Amino acid sequence: MTAVPSLAPDLDGCADEPIRVPGAIQPHGRLLVVTSAAGALVAHSENWADRAEMDAALAALGLGYASWPDGEGPAAVGSVAFAGQLWDASAHRSGALLFVEFEDAATDTGTRAPIYTLARHFVPALQGARSITGLCELAVAELKRLTGFGRCLAYRFDEEGHGEVLAEQCDPGYDRYAGHRFPASDIPPQARALYCRNYIRVIPDADYEPVPLRSLDPAVAPADIDLSMAQLRSVSPVHLEYMRNMGTRASMSISIVAGGRLWGLVSCHDQAPRRLSFQSRSACEHLGRLLSLQVEATEEHAEVAKRLELRQLTLQIISQRADLDATLLGLASEPVPLLRMAHATGAAIVLNDTVRLVGDTPRLEDVLALSRWVANRGGESFATDRLPELFPDARPWRQTCAGVMALSISQVHRHLILWFRPAVTQTIQWAGQPLKDVRADGRIQPRSSFASWRQQVEDRSLPWSAAELAAALELRQSLIGIVLRRAEELAEVATELGRVNKELEAFSYTVSHDLRAPMRHISGYVDLVLEIENATLSERARRYLTHVKDASAYSGRLVDGLLDFSRMGRSALKRSRVDMAALAAELVREFTRQDSGHAIEWSVAADLPVLDADPLLIQLALRNLVANAVKYSRDREPAHIRIEAVRDGHGEGVAVVDDGVGFDMKYVGKLFGVFQRLHQSDEFEGTGIGLASVRRIVERHGGQVHAEGALGRGARFGFVLPPKKEKEKS
Amino acid sequence: MLKPILLVEDDARDLELTLVALERSQLANEVVVVRDGAQALDYLSRQGDHAGRAEGNPAVLLLDLKLPKVSGLEVLRTVRATPELRSLPVVMLTSSHEESDVVQSYELGVNAYVVKPVEFKEFVAAIADLGVFWAVLNEPPPGSAKAARRYE
Repeated sequence: MTAVPSLAPDLDGCADEPIRVPGAIQPHGRLLVVTSAAGALVAHSENWADRAEMDAALAALGLGYASWPDGEGPAAVGSVAFAGQLWDASAHRSGALLFVEFEDAATDTGTRAPIYTLARHFVPALQGARSITGLCELAVAELKRLTGFGRCLAYRFDEEGHGEVLAEQCDPGYDRYAGHRFPASDIPPQARALYCRNYIRVIPDADYEPVPLRSLDPAVAPADIDLSMAQLRSVSPVHLEYMRNMGTRASMSISIVAGGRLWGLVSCHDQAPRRLSFQSRSACEHLGRLLSLQVEATEEHAEVAKRLELRQLTLQIISQRADLDATLLGLASEPVPLLRMAHATGAAIVLNDTVRLVGDTPRLEDVLALSRWVANRGGESFATDRLPELFPDARPWRQTCAGVMALSISQVHRHLILWFRPAVTQTIQWAGQPLKDVRADGRIQPRSSFASWRQQVEDRSLPWSAAELAAALELRQSLIGIVLRRAEELAEVATELGRVNKELEAFSYTVSHDLRAPMRHISGYVDLVLEIENATLSERARRYLTHVKDASAYSGRLVDGLLDFSRMGRSALKRSRVDMAALAAELVREFTRQDSGHAIEWSVAADLPVLDADPLLIQLALRNLVANAVKYSRDREPAHIRIEAVRDGHGEGVAVVDDGVGFDMKYVGKLFGVFQRLHQSDEFEGTGIGLASVRRIVERHGGQVHAEGALGRGARFGFVLPPKKEKEKS
Repeated sequence: MLKPILLVEDDARDLELTLVALERSQLANEVVVVRDGAQALDYLSRQGDHAGRAEGNPAVLLLDLKLPKVSGLEVLRTVRATPELRSLPVVMLTSSHEESDVVQSYELGVNAYVVKPVEFKEFVAAIADLGVFWAVLNEPPPGSAKAARRYE
């Protein structure tokens, strides 16, 4: 399991393969396993001539035992000659065992003094690189120069373990993999774990015959010997098959470990067998470590920079909010920062059933459905890069919304901000389909791997980063702050309103008591004068006094009407079912009995609704409308008054139609105001409170009043109440 | 002899008009007038200026709501809290329509509540009705002065 991922999605058992204890080595070297305490031989590879050769090799090295550091990687321990050639030896200790590996000393095809050139060329360049991709490009170029491999590429694993090729250096004749992606399943977990321990893996020739290990200790089977850190470790046959399908004979891979996890790999391939000396490999490993450090630092730096940028965007959004009105819908008016702060392609602001869409989004009704689903999950925020898996209804919209991040602004209302990202395959397709014509032979090869990756991420978006979520939460805090401040301001206004209302109430009480008494006195004394002095009064005096009496009686009614009106606004509604047909019939009977002095032909529609209303108040409203109709139609002989049903988008109600004097539509706005009258008071009596009362009653029920009319051609006054509210779900 | 009607009214004009109205109702009862709540309580408990009056409760108490010193509601509360006065019929007379006054008056056990009409004719009619109902027609509860007299 090395350089290129072992792309074997259709091969079972890959994850079970015992890669750390294969019981064999690659044939380009020899292995001795001795006890770390005394150097007693425990096992060896079966490519030694005889025991004497092994003992001679060990003796020539003259290793000091006991003090060997445990768990470190192989260290060069010198060169020895046996079997007619010179061998480079390296050793590492793993617990009670010391592993000594021998490789042909004259096999290096790489650069001389590799560590030196690394320090001279690579390190300064590395410091100049500003981006992750830039670092990777430098690393693959340097690796290629150091080792002479035909192709070097660097790739990064995402959170899921899928690999994405970031940089590549190729000789002519090599397939290119830039932009390629590999599914996480290509590298089984035990291989990833091994990459984290042993940073370098070399396969000089994929067409090799493994050399088995032989144990000299009956207690230690060859398949028990842990070759994790051994440079000669034999790799999985599946991986070798993959290398052959890629046309790769030699490979090397170097781990990039950042933040304690396997961040990515640098892989080198060659179409011909290629060996590297221990020194070259050490240089490559150092390069890997340098790259790891730099990647870690760059990512941290990028993370900080990104958080700063997102924070600034958030502040920008907030500062625009702070001096505008409190409604969140206004966020949609500045779509650029809103989308950028989440690197989203679309966004929606949802206030219950009101939605504002920005950028690429699902359809409005789909966004509403999604908002309900998100709201039902609860919580302050929610983010997923695989919405269709969690919310199957979303599958058809994955082109715009495979990933969603949501903020809930209110715990009471469905007030959400949603950000959308399209499916990531969509994103890749924009970037262009990589590698259109790779050869199709072999059951495992990169082309099918890419297809497999596509299938795995088909319904997913790019993941939401921690920085983006943090920025979103910060936005939420700030918005809630604004909303709370508005609420406080509103509460202050409400308190002030309550105070003013109380004052008004007290005022009307005073008006009631203090104004009614003098009216009563005027009326009473004038009556007494008229009665007692009737004989001595002149006709004119009597007439004047009658006017005084009428005027005081009228102001008395005015005061009473005003008080009734104010009480109507304060008393609580006691709702029940009110049959408007029965109510209308009763009113018609009453007005017929009263004998208004002119003939009226009544008609009451058969389909009057049943309303959910306060019976007393709604009766008062209808009575006022009917009384108005009777009053303003008294010049007609006979007058026609009709009570009919009204049904529109706002609900149900009734209207009263007469053929009386009517009114000019240009005054329609004044009709329902207190003390607004369109007729001279000696023409039609009244206090100007009747229609205002109707409106107040209707509006307290959440309904609406309406009026139509034409001068001399009658009028139509009516109201509708909203339908009875369903009980809210608990 | 008929028991008197106790009228508590601070406003001189209202008082005059009410007296005219009572006169027109042709009630034979004497009308005793006091001008504030404290006087009313003194009369009822035979204290202060009224310490020397004859025993017995009036036939009905016509009580204005807004009174100097002791308000009508307070007089009503005291009447209902005093065992000898508890069954005295009390009619609240007032200019006010205010709901809270009505509710409070009934909570305190008022027998009737009359908003003085503006129109004098209606006013006369209302006062006459009240007088006739409470001073003549209404049978006082057992234990009141009238009932007690039957045993004399």
